Amino acid sequence: MNGDLRTAREGEVAGDVGVGPLDPASAVVQPGPSARRAVAPLSEDSRLAVEIRSLVNRGDMDEARERFSGLVEMHQRRASRIAYQYLRDAADADEAVQDAFVKVFSHISAYREAWPFEVWFTRILINGCLDRRKARSRRDRWIVGGEITSADEAAASAAGPASDPEHRLLARERCARIAAAIDRLDGRQRTVFMLCHYGDCTAREVSVMTGLNESTVRVHLFRAARKLRHLLGVKP
Amino acid sequence: MPRTRHLQEERLFDFYMAERTGEPTSPPVAEHLADCEPCGRRYAELAAFMDMLRREGDAEADAVFGADRLHAQQQQIARRVALLGRPARIISFPGRMVRRTINASTSRTAPRWIAAAAAAGLFIGVALGASYQFGVGGSPLRGGRAFLVPDAASARASRVTAMPARSGGPADVGADDDFLWDLEIALDRPRTRELRAFEELTPHVREIVDRR
Repeated sequence: MNGDLRTAREGEVAGDVGVGPLDPASAVVQPGPSARRAVAPLSEDSRLAVEIRSLVNRGDMDEARERFSGLVEMHQRRASRIAYQYLRDAADADEAVQDAFVKVFSHISAYREAWPFEVWFTRILINGCLDRRKARSRRDRWIVGGEITSADEAAASAAGPASDPEHRLLARERCARIAAAIDRLDGRQRTVFMLCHYGDCTAREVSVMTGLNESTVRVHLFRAARKLRHLLGVKP
Repeated sequence: MPRTRHLQEERLFDFYMAERTGEPTSPPVAEHLADCEPCGRRYAELAAFMDMLRREGDAEADAVFGADRLHAQQQQIARRVALLGRPARIISFPGRMVRRTINASTSRTAPRWIAAAAAAGLFIGVALGASYQFGVGGSPLRGGRAFLVPDAASARASRVTAMPARSGGPADVGADDDFLWDLEIALDRPRTRELRAFEELTPHVREIVDRR
């Protein structure tokens, strides 16, 4: 597994913390400062992010923090789902989400309203998750696993506390199979699939986040779904 | 009239994704799916599979990140954000401990007295130990003096070792006898029981003298 997003367009995502202003032209593959900007009305979260940015620039930090908690509340659940699907560990996902939000606040001056806040934030989150996956793979070379992970516990509790042990066991096995199949996807395929499927992003948004062409995103998504169906034994 | 061409898998998938994310769908594909039963069935299977993946994943993540956990996470983020930009704080662990000790004592000079008493006790102990060694075991200085100014026993020993080089006179033989007598008397003492075995193997001077 490589650095998925970072290999897509090195200059845009890699190198810094991944919070630089998005180039609005990247979706139409016309990079450059003179590219056209999106004129769609700002979504609620983007508007809030712009307000926080102006508050921070004015030095009104208390008010900025107050507004930022609303932004956190808006994106927290979705961010946790994405991070959890990426990392398959509750503590890691929790930390990744926290880091992403803290990074957003500390770099809010770099936010540009040309693209939705959601896209900017998700890119930061995914970059953080990729870093953690890399660190974990390095760490796992030296540590022997085998203990019950939070993913196993979650799979068991996802079946519901009132369900019988057999049902819980089946749910755990099902989740484990799906997770293993997703893990076997190619790096970019996995990223695209995660963002589209669990992050509710459109192909266009994923294109902006990853720097990939929109049609390339669609191809990756389709191939990921086809491979998953094959791996999970579903006849296409 | 039955259709001869069915929709490709890729077009089905695009249609599914567009429908799910709220993007505009392709009207020809929608029309085809409405008319063609095999394609409609394939699309239903695809959608069911993708929905199952999504449902399972969301349920799993939501089981981990319940309301309490999300609330705690939100508070933690707020704390971390509040700490941003503030200068680093010095950890006051050692300072606080010392201050607490001083506050607990009634006088600020008490620890100094304790330290002075400990130092004095140590000094006295070392001095007593040194004097005891001088008194009982002898000191290197005394040993050196004994070496420089040999006492009677060591004078005898030096004479014994030098005996083969000398011409044996009656006076010397008498002195040697005295020395060996002293040794035998010393061997008879209770402290030298370990040497009894050697003593039994050694011919006694008194036996030799008696033979004479």
